Amino acid sequence: MSSAPIVKPQRWAAFRRELFRNVGALLVAMAVTTVIVFLTSKAPLEALTQLLTAPAAKVRTIGLWVDDIAKLTITGLAFSLVFQARQFSMGVQGQVYIGAIASTYVVLSPLGQTPFGLALGVLAAMAAGAFYGFLPGFAKARLGANEIVSSLMLNYIAIELCNFLVRTALPLPQAGVLTTIDFPESAVFPALVDKTRIDLGLIFAIVAVLVVWFALYRTAWGLKLRLVGHNARFAEYAGIRSTFIMVSAMTASGALGGLLGAMFVQGQTWGKLTVQFEGGLAFEGILVAIVARSRPLAVPIVAIFYAYLRQGASLMNVRTDVPAEVIGVVTAIIILLVSSTFSLNFLTRWFKRGPAPVATAPAVAEGATK
Amino acid sequence: MMDLFLTVFSAAFFVTIIRTTTPLLLATLGGLVADLSGALNVALEGQMLIAALTAVIVSVYAPWYVAVVAGLGAGALLGLIMAFFALRLKADIILVGFAINILAAGGTVFALALATGGDKGTSINLPSQAIPMLDLSFLGGIPGVGPTLAALLSGHSVLSWVAAFLVFAIWYFLYRTPWGLWLRGVGEYPAAPEAAGIPVNKIRTWSLIVSGALAGLGGAQLAMFNYVGFTRDMTAGRGFIALGAVLLGARHPVGALLAALLFGAFEGLAVVMPGLFREIPAELIRMIPFIVTILALVLFSYRAQQLLKMRSGQ
Repeated sequence: MSSAPIVKPQRWAAFRRELFRNVGALLVAMAVTTVIVFLTSKAPLEALTQLLTAPAAKVRTIGLWVDDIAKLTITGLAFSLVFQARQFSMGVQGQVYIGAIASTYVVLSPLGQTPFGLALGVLAAMAAGAFYGFLPGFAKARLGANEIVSSLMLNYIAIELCNFLVRTALPLPQAGVLTTIDFPESAVFPALVDKTRIDLGLIFAIVAVLVVWFALYRTAWGLKLRLVGHNARFAEYAGIRSTFIMVSAMTASGALGGLLGAMFVQGQTWGKLTVQFEGGLAFEGILVAIVARSRPLAVPIVAIFYAYLRQGASLMNVRTDVPAEVIGVVTAIIILLVSSTFSLNFLTRWFKRGPAPVATAPAVAEGATK
Repeated sequence: MMDLFLTVFSAAFFVTIIRTTTPLLLATLGGLVADLSGALNVALEGQMLIAALTAVIVSVYAPWYVAVVAGLGAGALLGLIMAFFALRLKADIILVGFAINILAAGGTVFALALATGGDKGTSINLPSQAIPMLDLSFLGGIPGVGPTLAALLSGHSVLSWVAAFLVFAIWYFLYRTPWGLWLRGVGEYPAAPEAAGIPVNKIRTWSLIVSGALAGLGGAQLAMFNYVGFTRDMTAGRGFIALGAVLLGARHPVGALLAALLFGAFEGLAVVMPGLFREIPAELIRMIPFIVTILALVLFSYRAQQLLKMRSGQ
């Protein structure tokens, strides 16, 4: 992660290398998917065509694609922030639910009817998400409680809380349904393109990319954060309070998670709170952040590609006999290949060396975990 | 309240606790072995899930013990994949673990839809089998304590007994054999065992394989005893709770047993409470295991920190 602007040619070489690795990983993943589809589907060619072409085929599907780009960008940024500080807080999903709940309470209150309803809903969601991101950070900084476990537990709690509130506490259009009444028109993000899901959320995503980039690469806080991520001990010796940086990174990431929650419930997608509205999108920020190497400016580019695959898979699911969940396989393979030292060179070398690789690789003194 | 009291102190509730504890305990032991070797296994959740589905599908065509072994094998294979990417290809092991979890969340639904012909929710139309209960009702013949013993010890899954034995076996392995010493040394300070000529990566690889195999056993227990059949996301965070239980158990097999029992007891409570208190919403009851895990983790970390301060103060 040599992110400092050094010499231009080096940067380009690094960029090209990254690009080749990522494209290589994508090709391997797609090859595996093709094999799976051919083994399981009755109409494999039809399924693959849907996967690869359907999202760009109609205005409506392009709308779905762009909507996914905005959302994947935000969750990718949220994960990038904590990954840059080398924290493995996995709480974006929980922050999305808590943010959505906060936004719903504000928007369905009398405040929601006022012209400020939209902004207040978003702010409430961000504040709630920030608080929810702060909790595991604080528990780790103060008590040394493992942030992976605590943030995951908070995810489950937030999901159950959302189920509970929707069922019992929030106004429903009729008894028995698990969605609230529609939000007031003024509090729902206006659509940027008519009859699509492209809405204000896209603007929020673009702004968020710029803000996170600026915060990470043009402020003292960002420099400290990246230093802590590189080498926490060195940062401590340099006089940086790494616990403060840690907690603030998780809190800022939480605010992004909350914003994503507001984008779901106040966006054109829903315009109301419903149970399980997020559909597993939050966790896919892990892939976006890893492939983007946690660089804010690369996050939307990765999101464009990944959103396409996601939409392709869900359209394939509707129109053919291949379940959309096959995309989980693609995601896993890409994460595995991109986060490792995998390269296409490596594969060729491996095959040249013969089918029996030596079992005892030269051990690393550093170890794999830190 | 009285009802709750009577339920909690009944033999039937004890049997429920053992049932809810067993998958957790197996996963916790798996997490422990990997953690002690210095390779944090965050994929316990995914390994359990894939093993659960594997066990269910295999049990349609083969006897129950083959299905259990298949679940164990699936977990072990995932452990090997983790080791390959984390140790040989130098990927961050936490990211590798989450890749496995994502693979499991999507892959099991995909495979379930294929196996059932389109059903993405449950394997209800697959005639899968259960792990048999071990019937120890003959203990009732012992005068005096007999009936109590029979009520407490009879009716557990075979794997519950295996899990209990594994606590002892893993303790013995870790603290009474040279390999156990190696494993702990590798986790503690890898440079030293390496200088002594101990193959660090080989040991970590094996501990990840064993870790996956144990999580796989837990998954098999979950889908072939606790519930018979597979439902999507049926592990419901148990693998992550197990990760917390490793820390809570002070990274010791007996501690792991106690921590798993604690979480198992609260899960058991969540199982029996809906029948007793109709007025408490089901969602809040389902939150109990997660809240307890966070509280336990925070309290334990706080205590550990105090101890550390006391020691360094001297």
